[in-house]
Amino acid sequence: MKPGEILAGLGGTLPGARVVAEAGGMVTVDVPRQDWLPALAFARDEAGCDFFDWLTAVDEQDEGLAVVAHLYSIESGLHLLVRTLLPAGDPVLASAAGLFRGADWAERETHEMFGVVFDGHPRLTPLLLPEGFDGHPLRKDFPLAARAAAPWPGAKEPGEREASARSRRRLVPPGVPEGWPPA
Amino acid sequence: MTGNLAERSGRAEPVGAAHGAAVPGDQEMAAALPPRSRGVLALFEENCTVCMLCARECPDWCIFIESHKQTVPAADGGRPRVRNVLDRFAIDFSLCMYCGICVEVCPYDALFWSPEFGYPETGIAGLTHERDRLRDWMWTVPPPPAHDPGAPLPREAQVAGPGTGAPSGPADPGQP
Amino acid sequence: MPAVDLPAPRRGGAAAGWDPGAGPEEPSHVSGAGPGVSLRVFDAGLACCAVEVAAALRRFAGPAPAPGAGAVHVLVVAGTVTDKLAPLVLAAYRELPEPRRVLSFGACANSGGPYWDSYCVTKGADQIIPVDVYVPGCPPRPEALLGGLRLLLGEGGP
Repeated sequence: MKPGEILAGLGGTLPGARVVAEAGGMVTVDVPRQDWLPALAFARDEAGCDFFDWLTAVDEQDEGLAVVAHLYSIESGLHLLVRTLLPAGDPVLASAAGLFRGADWAERETHEMFGVVFDGHPRLTPLLLPEGFDGHPLRKDFPLAARAAAPWPGAKEPGEREASARSRRRLVPPGVPEGWPPA
Repeated sequence: MTGNLAERSGRAEPVGAAHGAAVPGDQEMAAALPPRSRGVLALFEENCTVCMLCARECPDWCIFIESHKQTVPAADGGRPRVRNVLDRFAIDFSLCMYCGICVEVCPYDALFWSPEFGYPETGIAGLTHERDRLRDWMWTVPPPPAHDPGAPLPREAQVAGPGTGAPSGPADPGQP
Repeated sequence: MPAVDLPAPRRGGAAAGWDPGAGPEEPSHVSGAGPGVSLRVFDAGLACCAVEVAAALRRFAGPAPAPGAGAVHVLVVAGTVTDKLAPLVLAAYRELPEPRRVLSFGACANSGGPYWDSYCVTKGADQIIPVDVYVPGCPPRPEALLGGLRLLLGEGGP
């Protein structure tokens, strides 16, 4: 299916879908949350995207969590990025594991890294993180604790023996949020 | 400037031997390594102005610099100058990922790559090389590889213009 | 749909349904290590450094004969030790017969390397097992592994 036909096909069945971008054989489609499974099913059955590549999330902070799936059609070479946005306080989405077997582990990883709950997943347990790990590491408000705890060698001014409070500017190393750790 | 640093300094053996990590056959290996191989970092302290850019840009936070300011009185009644004096410059090679960002960002060419790779240690503290050891590595830094024939002149030579010792044509490697 | 679990890595790397056969956990024998000493090298190839260790062992070592007198068992930890995999590195160390040594290969195994600030990386194999020799590099050259093994023997060998 050509990229131009995607929207025509989607628009008929899923009025909420919007084609956001289209370049170099890759089409990005935004769908509302309730159309997530129908959009993936359309991609697989109508658009010929039989290859499930990956599924992950993007932390949009105040806007919520965006879940993105990349599907690919082996026959036509079409790349499809299907995205949906979950509200900040309610990161629940239907599980695509019934449509694509590959989504099983991808959803487990997205769950433990971002905290997205996939309804209908057969076994949503942690995949990569060790037991007893607390928190969702890939969220933007999860700080790199090691960076905040270790003293940054670059915090010294030239000519300073040790980092002192009277530095003219407090240099924060990249990766540490401003004002962390909380005093 | 001709000749490599090792010859000019009179010390041609790799310093790995002095630190108990000699690997027989390293000399043959050195000849076989490609140019610009990244084995270890060497510090040319005379060029360092303690601007701290390398320590700030290092993604691994493995460069440790300590310094103090020193006032240098002017010789003939001029204004006294303040300069930074390097007290400590250490690179922790247990963390270093040999990305070369420190070498690229140094504005004064104080850091160099050396192809020496044989410096294992029995204790992890031994992998932090201090100023003296980083200077020792300088004697193993090879001369830069020759420019490709037909390559444009480096900017410094282009800007210098004729009559200042800059080579007149692009295909003139090996001349100062 | 049947539940699928990530099989816990076991010594030999046997995942469900894969027969390791003469797999990578067979020790390699470094020849020329010295009179009367044979090094049986067990490669814990966790990440990219494993490629360099494999190149070194392929070039300079062969399959180990049955251990005899004077055999030193060396566990080469090559690659990033993650918190999830750390118990298995410890288990591999405990399974080594005496005399045993550990060689930490590469920045990640030395100290966590470029991933020292990650939420799931153990900052060095020496957080879990005692390390005898640290080989720096990212990744170190295959020849650096030989240098590290020679240093190992120099310390503990005849």
